[in-house]
Amino acid sequence: MEQDQQKLPIPEPLLAAWIKWTMDFWEALAQMGPSRARTSVTSAASPQGVKRPPGDFSQLALRMWEAFFSLLSEPRTVDAVFKGIKAPSEITLKMAQTGWEGYFHLHRQWLAGGGEGEALGFEDLDKDTFKIWAEIYERDFKQLLNLPLIGLIRFSQEKISRGMAKFGQYQAAMAEFMYLIYLPMKQSLRVMQEKLEEISRETELSEDFKEYYKMWLKILEGRYMILFKSPEYLRTLSYTLDALEDFTLAKQELLADSLKALSLPSLQEMDELYREIYLLKKRVKDLEKILARLGPA
Amino acid sequence: MTEPKIPVDLILAKLAAEAEKVQHRLKKAKDILLGPLNTDIAITPHEVVYQEDRVRLKHYRPLKEPRLKTPLLLVYALINRETMLDLQPDRSVIQNLLKEGIEVYLIDWGIPTRKDRYLSLDDHVNGYLDTIVDFLLKRHRLAKINLMGVSLGGTLAVMYAALHPEKINNLITLVTPSHFDTDKGLLHIWMKEIDVDRMIDTFGNLPGELLNVGFLLLNPARLVFDKYVGFLENMDDQEFVENFIRMEKWIFDCPDIPGETFRQLVKDCYQKNLLIHNKMELGGKRVDLKKITMPLLNIYGRYDHLMPPEACEPLTRKVGSKDTERICLDTGHIGILLGAKGQKELVPRIAGWLKDRDKKNKTLKPSAKKEEKKK
Repeated sequence: MEQDQQKLPIPEPLLAAWIKWTMDFWEALAQMGPSRARTSVTSAASPQGVKRPPGDFSQLALRMWEAFFSLLSEPRTVDAVFKGIKAPSEITLKMAQTGWEGYFHLHRQWLAGGGEGEALGFEDLDKDTFKIWAEIYERDFKQLLNLPLIGLIRFSQEKISRGMAKFGQYQAAMAEFMYLIYLPMKQSLRVMQEKLEEISRETELSEDFKEYYKMWLKILEGRYMILFKSPEYLRTLSYTLDALEDFTLAKQELLADSLKALSLPSLQEMDELYREIYLLKKRVKDLEKILARLGPA
Repeated sequence: MTEPKIPVDLILAKLAAEAEKVQHRLKKAKDILLGPLNTDIAITPHEVVYQEDRVRLKHYRPLKEPRLKTPLLLVYALINRETMLDLQPDRSVIQNLLKEGIEVYLIDWGIPTRKDRYLSLDDHVNGYLDTIVDFLLKRHRLAKINLMGVSLGGTLAVMYAALHPEKINNLITLVTPSHFDTDKGLLHIWMKEIDVDRMIDTFGNLPGELLNVGFLLLNPARLVFDKYVGFLENMDDQEFVENFIRMEKWIFDCPDIPGETFRQLVKDCYQKNLLIHNKMELGGKRVDLKKITMPLLNIYGRYDHLMPPEACEPLTRKVGSKDTERICLDTGHIGILLGAKGQKELVPRIAGWLKDRDKKNKTLKPSAKKEEKKK
């Protein structure tokens, strides 16, 4: 055991790369001092030069992530990481590389997207992170779960893979749905901030917090109404329900195997039985009615 | 840009002044929440007089001698529970009806399980509801009874009245949709978009949990946020806390809906809007609204976000009856049953309308009369 541990090589390139990333990352972070943050109104990450309000902390965070992930996504960094891992199996390597590339792709797209929730509408969500993530999932990860399986237990493995794939899809859909539900909250706070600035310019702000709370609630309610009637919401709702239903079916398939092993009837078998009982009861009730109409013999 | 003039000193001073009040409130709230609370719902005394499968019929006796010879059968929706009609003692539609001297029967649809997934709208309308009406006709030796449907229960009542007009003396529809092709209510918009076949083939019944979430999404600002802010502000008021918990008990107590019933409701009503166009079919029989010839009272709420006036109002024009009345109250879907305005106006107007028409009802069936004489 000890011998095995001694034999393990120290992944020097990986270590070196990690140190360099960390240094570059903190260097980039240090450059984003408060003085720079206040003056930077246009995001460098956004090719369209989307304007952000001064002092928007999401911009700072975005720039941090940009620095971090641009470093990670350099080809030499990726090579360094994989050279540090000795003799990985082909399949593991493929999976890891797919994930790695997908993750970088996601962040590149996100950074290039100019920041979500910028507008006060919901029509531009096609650009947003969850869509990109769903695309990456469909293109890369799902394929791995669909690899042809062989051997004695291939049927069970297929069901497990299908369950995992559907779970992944459901999670992606749910994340997008929850994000959509969160958007009006974010937008209402922004509108409220603008309103407060406007009020404070004209008069002194009231000390009654409730007054502002009611104002915000009304804005929030309005934003939700707009969202819930939007085609984007309806599309996401359908997509999320579909994903939930697919995952439920995949779960039922898996469960059926376990029930079979325990000699218990599956849901499908019970449904068949319920249907027979339902039809029988209906026939009995109809016959009872006919007999009642005919009167006592 | 100038810095906003936020009166921080004033805000802090106010916060300090409020702190003592908050402390006192929290202490009182703790005593209330840890003490005995009466949060029971549906407590009006009743007896179950009929049961078939999961469906039960509750009978409520009037507090005084019945002023109407014809009892009133209440049909609540399959969505949520009928306990809404008797949620809190001081705001109970059931108790108010009893005070008016009306004998009340209420259908409790029970909790559907997986075995109920194949029950269709036809089974509910021409099956359970018809059997219950027959039971009541026999029990009271009547030719007809009064029928009142609430929310989607009203839609079932409308279908029943169109298919069995000979058994209904007066029909009352309360916040009842009959015209489903409107974009005024979110429910109407969403129902058009869902793939109901896929949903029911997967789940069997429509899960109540899914409906609970769906109802919260109709107005998250109020139902997920403001409601609980209100609770925090009033948790030192025992009566408020008790009623709040009663409402919480009701709102998250949505049973599953039998799959085939939900499938037909969504497809035929919400997606194809067949009912109002007299094209809907139940058990092979067409539901013709022109056959509703008995007096009709149609009540709905102006601010109802679930069943908006646009969905409820057209029924009065589409039926065959010449005696129709439409009442639009300035309330919402729940407010019409629980709100102060609803409490003040709803039941007295129903009672008055029924009393005017009760005299015209030929109650005793000739055969039943003979049987009684024999006894």
